[in-house]
Amino acid sequence: MSNHAEVLIIGAGIIGCATAYYLAKKGISVLVLEGSDSIGDGGSSRNGGGVRQSGRDPRELPIVMYGIRHIWPNLKDELGVDVEYYQEGNLRLGKTEAHLKILEVLTQRSVQCGLDVKMISGVEAREICPYLSDSVLGASWCPTDGHANPLLATLAFYRRARQLGARFITGEKVAEIRKLQGAARQVVTQNNVFEGDRIIVAAGMESRPILNTVGIDVPMTPLLLETLVTEAVEPMFYQMLGTAAADFYGHQSTHGSFVFGTNSGLEPYAKPGKTVSSSVSASAACRGILSYFPVLADLKIIRTWAGWIDSCADHVPVISPVEEVPGLIVACGFTGHGFGIAPPVGMLLSELATGSELTLDLSDLRYDRFKAR
Amino acid sequence: MKRYDLIVIGAGPAGLSASIEAAKRGLAVAVFDENAKPGGQLFKQIHKFFGAKEHKAKIRGFRIGEDLLAQAAETGVEVVLNAVVIGLFPEKEITVKIGSDVRHFKADTIIIATGASENMVPFEGWTLPGVIGAGAAQTMMNLHGVLPGKRVLMLGSGNVGLVVSYQLLQAGCEVVAVCDMAPRVGGYGVHAAKIARCGVPFYMEHTIVKAEGSVQVTGVTIGRVGADRQVIPGTEKHLAVDTICLAVGLSPMSQLADMAYCAMEDNPRKAGYVPVVDEFGETSVPGIFAAGDVSGIEEASSAMIEGRIAGVAAAYRLGFIDKTALNAQVQELKPALSSLRQGMFAPESRGKTITKTEEGCAISENLLRVGFIAEDEISRYPGVTKQKGVHPVIECTQNIPCNPCQDACPKKCIRIGSQITALPVVDESETCIDCGMCVASCSGQAIFLVNEDFAEDYATVTLPYEFLPLPPEGDKGFALGRDGQKVCTAEVVQVRSAPAFDKTHLLTIKVPRDMAMKARFYKAEV
Amino acid sequence: MAKDRTKEIGAFAAAPDDNLIICRCEEITKGEIRSAVHDGMFTLTEIRRYLRTGMGLCQGQTCSRLVKAIVASELGVTPSELEPAASRAPMRPIEMRILARDLGGDQHE
Repeated sequence: MSNHAEVLIIGAGIIGCATAYYLAKKGISVLVLEGSDSIGDGGSSRNGGGVRQSGRDPRELPIVMYGIRHIWPNLKDELGVDVEYYQEGNLRLGKTEAHLKILEVLTQRSVQCGLDVKMISGVEAREICPYLSDSVLGASWCPTDGHANPLLATLAFYRRARQLGARFITGEKVAEIRKLQGAARQVVTQNNVFEGDRIIVAAGMESRPILNTVGIDVPMTPLLLETLVTEAVEPMFYQMLGTAAADFYGHQSTHGSFVFGTNSGLEPYAKPGKTVSSSVSASAACRGILSYFPVLADLKIIRTWAGWIDSCADHVPVISPVEEVPGLIVACGFTGHGFGIAPPVGMLLSELATGSELTLDLSDLRYDRFKAR
Repeated sequence: MKRYDLIVIGAGPAGLSASIEAAKRGLAVAVFDENAKPGGQLFKQIHKFFGAKEHKAKIRGFRIGEDLLAQAAETGVEVVLNAVVIGLFPEKEITVKIGSDVRHFKADTIIIATGASENMVPFEGWTLPGVIGAGAAQTMMNLHGVLPGKRVLMLGSGNVGLVVSYQLLQAGCEVVAVCDMAPRVGGYGVHAAKIARCGVPFYMEHTIVKAEGSVQVTGVTIGRVGADRQVIPGTEKHLAVDTICLAVGLSPMSQLADMAYCAMEDNPRKAGYVPVVDEFGETSVPGIFAAGDVSGIEEASSAMIEGRIAGVAAAYRLGFIDKTALNAQVQELKPALSSLRQGMFAPESRGKTITKTEEGCAISENLLRVGFIAEDEISRYPGVTKQKGVHPVIECTQNIPCNPCQDACPKKCIRIGSQITALPVVDESETCIDCGMCVASCSGQAIFLVNEDFAEDYATVTLPYEFLPLPPEGDKGFALGRDGQKVCTAEVVQVRSAPAFDKTHLLTIKVPRDMAMKARFYKAEV
Repeated sequence: MAKDRTKEIGAFAAAPDDNLIICRCEEITKGEIRSAVHDGMFTLTEIRRYLRTGMGLCQGQTCSRLVKAIVASELGVTPSELEPAASRAPMRPIEMRILARDLGGDQHE
């Protein structure tokens, strides 16, 4: 089989898979190289599933708003897999006056960008979600936010892209990108050399060393995040949840289980290398969750898992062509909130790779925006 | 954080043995077990173990368990029960659910001895109540005193299936059949013979087509499988059962080792996904060991020795003993372990078709096909002789690591020699005194005392008997053949019970002389 | 090990035992598992993310081996060629109320 494709994508996370899908749909030949053995092994399988506009940086807000308006509602039909998308709103909860202040700032910022989000009282929050503890004093409420199943969404993009002819190779770790006659052209792995007219790097935290091989650096650090899932129970509520204290986030899935992301505060200090849950974070998450939802106390935790995210210097992704290395396109540094924007990002990357007109302006997300103080 | 020298996870035969050896050498040891009772599977094992003296042969499993617990208490091992280990984290830290709290502990060495879980096999109706693991059936009977059912089909002819079938019979269940996809009985022939002579039929090359019933098992359909392992149409057979026991193997519960980033391998010879360990049981993560079924499915006897080796190795790693002491200990334990791994059922022999014993005797094909030795096969084995007066007839026909019969005979009539897997030989030059020790000492219940000169036209056969109630002397009934079929009428002329027999009773039955080599079980007249 | 996901394994063909439940906790059938392989889910990790096999209360204790055999047979490889999906805490399902009562390491004795 030929080792050439019009577009080479490094990384089969949800960004790589979505991009492969949009390109394959256009009839472009695509080859996706994934370093690990399974599709979606990075942040794509280790996040709370939020499809959320509220609380986002204004630079990436237009992308997620576009996705929620034009892509997420139809994704199930488009991909032929129920990605369990719910648009039932996002509650960001506060228990103290200080929390409410944080929420007000976030709300103000989103309103200025034209988002339908507002502050509500504890009583109003409990009308939306009656399971909330009385200790909740108030919340920000964005009715057009929601959530989906990140595991399924990633695999659904992969499945459809594969059906449309995109080629995926897993267990193929990229060592180096090579320029030929002035343009990025080759991707070298342990056993192979692949060639593409365009090369998209969407490899999460692995993107940095790969980009370094062609003299590009994006300032980001790996951050170990942890997620846990409960046993299934009857449907209770479908709002996406977050807190001003950032102690947990999550939702109830179609299956009935609750998926919660945890935040122990120790994430930046996880030891590099092995992806291991810490011995304290699941407990910290449970304490956090139960202080908002005491009704969940008897629910059993079935699994916890950890994964690395690529935390960018300014907490906003790089989605950008690299003009100084013609043919190279970068999409990394999603900083833990890449899932909700992945479908429109895939669409935009396919536009960048084919040189089509961009649906949305990406100039705030350039790779060379990082300046010293 | 509370730090031990050694934390052992799992208080089964491997875990307890490991902790005792370590504690004896001065280590502060804690054992965590999720069950309410320690001992792992040992307390379900009411049968006598195989092996040699150093493997605690001819001692019943639960007694071995009691012994280990006593030793653990003596040596100061802290055994924490109802303690669910949640995870094994970096820096050898474990989190444990104890009661309704979570606690953290650390140790400088960890021994994972979490054992195994039962395999399942799917067929139509396999999720119906009444389809249970054979181990589960054993737990119900032997720990909780609850009968799993009345009429049972056993799927699987390995040692677990055979031993549990026998225990089901002892508990008063009817074992309707033992069925296995394989063409040959997988477990020890002596275990098969024990249930065959009680009348349990073997259906080899058969599998379950479906479990019948809508809310619980009311029957089962089995069928013969062809070379493609599919059921041959037209061979289906209905059996009325209320319980289906699955004895289709065990899988190592190695998740903690995997979570701790120990190098793992999927090794069919070890029956599953196991941590790679060195000769001391140490995994690729220094200071983390694995012992017992978690590092490869074997018998409890091997698990205990593996545990002991790991316990000694942990003591060496932490400087409680020196290299000389380690080597001396391990040199003593290694041969005991390797002797258990010899013979026809050794891990190395898995998947091989063996046709001859080490002595060159042809294997009983009948035993492998239907669970009992055919009459025309029996005389080829060195334990079967024809002598005047009372003499042992040893129907032990496969090379298994076991030798208590050799030491049981005060007259040295029985010889195995130094090769523990050798077939027992009856020495015709020595005179049997009819003490019965050999009969009771044989964990496989394969030794009979035959006297063809009991009276004119009559012989007696003394057989091991582990059923209650015991028939009284003078009881009249039937002698059953090796196949469990009635061969003649019989009278119980003697019932012997003794502490030294350890609950194996000796029934002497009087049968017509020409039945002496046929009668192998007694059934009272109903 | 590098795996090309374009590997040709033929079209999904229905079989009489496709309705057989394999993962009892999540009620996933043999047919669903086989069909997922044909959808490109070539690893046990992908199968469990896609279908939830082994993600229920028994944590895969019952079905892992069965799922592995089905996937291997569908891919035409031996089961031991498939890397088992990773093991994760908790080793047994634990109530949130109990996990929340984490006494740490200092309260013992």
